[in-house]
Amino acid sequence: MLRILLINDTAKKVGRLKNALTEAGFEVIDESGLTIDLPERVEAVRPDVILIDTESPSRDVMEQVVLVSRDQPRPIVMFTDEHDPGVMRQAIQSGVSAYIVEGIHAQRLQPILDVAMARFESDQALRAQLQARDAQLAERKRIELAKGLLMKMKSCDEEQAYTLMRRQAMSRQQKLAQVAEQIIAMHDMLGS
Amino acid sequence: MNEHEISRSHPPEKPVLNIGFMALTDAASVIVAATQGFAEKHGLTLNLQRQASWATLRDKLLSGELDAAHSLYGLIYGVQLGLGGAPATDMAVLMGLNQNGQSINLSPALQAAGVSTGSALAQRAHQPGAKLTFAQTFPTGTHAMWLNYWLASQGIHPLNDVDSVVVPPPQMLAHLKAMRIDGFCVGEPWCAQAVNEQMGCTLITSQAIWPDHPEKVLGCTREFAEQYPNSARALIMAVLEASRFIDESEENQRSTAQLLSGSEYVDAPLSAIQPRFLGQYQDGLGHAWQDAHPLRFHAGGAVNQPYLSDGMWFMTQFRRWGLLRDDPDYLAIARQVQQLDLYRQAAEALGIDIPSDMRRSQLLDGQVWDGSDPAAYARSFALHALADAPLSAQQESR
Repeated sequence: MLRILLINDTAKKVGRLKNALTEAGFEVIDESGLTIDLPERVEAVRPDVILIDTESPSRDVMEQVVLVSRDQPRPIVMFTDEHDPGVMRQAIQSGVSAYIVEGIHAQRLQPILDVAMARFESDQALRAQLQARDAQLAERKRIELAKGLLMKMKSCDEEQAYTLMRRQAMSRQQKLAQVAEQIIAMHDMLGS
Repeated sequence: MNEHEISRSHPPEKPVLNIGFMALTDAASVIVAATQGFAEKHGLTLNLQRQASWATLRDKLLSGELDAAHSLYGLIYGVQLGLGGAPATDMAVLMGLNQNGQSINLSPALQAAGVSTGSALAQRAHQPGAKLTFAQTFPTGTHAMWLNYWLASQGIHPLNDVDSVVVPPPQMLAHLKAMRIDGFCVGEPWCAQAVNEQMGCTLITSQAIWPDHPEKVLGCTREFAEQYPNSARALIMAVLEASRFIDESEENQRSTAQLLSGSEYVDAPLSAIQPRFLGQYQDGLGHAWQDAHPLRFHAGGAVNQPYLSDGMWFMTQFRRWGLLRDDPDYLAIARQVQQLDLYRQAAEALGIDIPSDMRRSQLLDGQVWDGSDPAAYARSFALHALADAPLSAQQESR
């Protein structure tokens, strides 16, 4: 029977998987201690599979575990046997990363991943959609317009206008496009 | 070709790119390029995606969810060589993002015990009893290499005399407060923040170990660079222009620091980011100085050339510390990873000087690195973990 270690250190409770995986017949150990103790816990538990939130900062600690245990059967990131980017992307997007000890067939992991991914899918925030090409062009035109207005108002050249807009944007933790909108709005209000 | 000709005649094959970064001040040029209108004129839109760990950033690069990312130099070479949790994959360094600006800090307990110099630390490390614990951020990363290099230069064997652990940067202070670590090497703002909160001192900066050392790069898979060369070149141009803009004036640096402190980016107080971003250091031991080799992003292009010698240096240290058990073909691998041609085209179009692809440096222990004989360089250190170092080399080094 595969022994699974759940690393439970983010708001997205990986621990919730425990019941589902136990019901599916796996031995599950839930770990929620300090990050720094992770290598010792992995050494003590000797799991076949380690599941961790993709967004957990402790993933880098797992890298250390992988590197120091390279003379023993070591856990490596589950990239699927076929190394199919589509499957990999799906696993990453579902928000759970799996380490599997070398020598264990990836196929045996599939039921575990199915449970984990099904549990996590509902947790996923709506992913930011790629900005449409149209929106990008519109934004670029607005920046051009604002730059032109500023050049007139400040009697400066193009480079100076960009620099002024960028400094303003950065000081307010905004994007250039936001400052462009403010300049246009101000110009409309004051009239030309 | 100038910048306008090149983006018109070679439009990006992929116009919208997902760009990963970690919440560190040295991600500045990528963040500025994406948010301040530097990419659009090259036909690109850059979607920034902050990552919680280097391991996830790497996995997303390999799966294609990220197209390129602010990356540790050593992470890119670690993946190239198959060191770590991911399968060996051909990687690419598009450009250098920054030099300098990392630090090694010690805990308040060590500081209170009067350990505030390298020699005092060496004495403490060699005392019998519990080993000191030092944290870094990623096993093949730059911080692990600066920490190892510096400890060894003080006569402290980083693998035998101390325990080395990975702690994610935002958790460094919590681990310090819990007295679980005695020191750490990390990027800013975390070292400055520890000093500001009187949680220990900065013992040495990374630029004092190696003035103008390589640090973060713009990394991607080789597959991305080969499949979308125009997108890759346009991305280099956008980040190059942002780098030039940041370094252009102190006023630009100040507003960049303000941008970085935003919750979407580094999410840390301006007081922890701005001083060291401007080269103004305080070490928590009563010293304050204006650093001669502060964090820098451009320096007329000297920062951005993907030097072959920089790439090879990380491989020599992997070899030195036993991560590589044999000598790799240092130069051949560096030539494949460092995207010198794409970089040259981008820099030429912007009229930016392109230095030679090798550079010569002297590190704090007096060792000179110029890329000419990497295998000998990897064997030239008194302290190492070369399993197969010839006996003669070991004796010579004593």
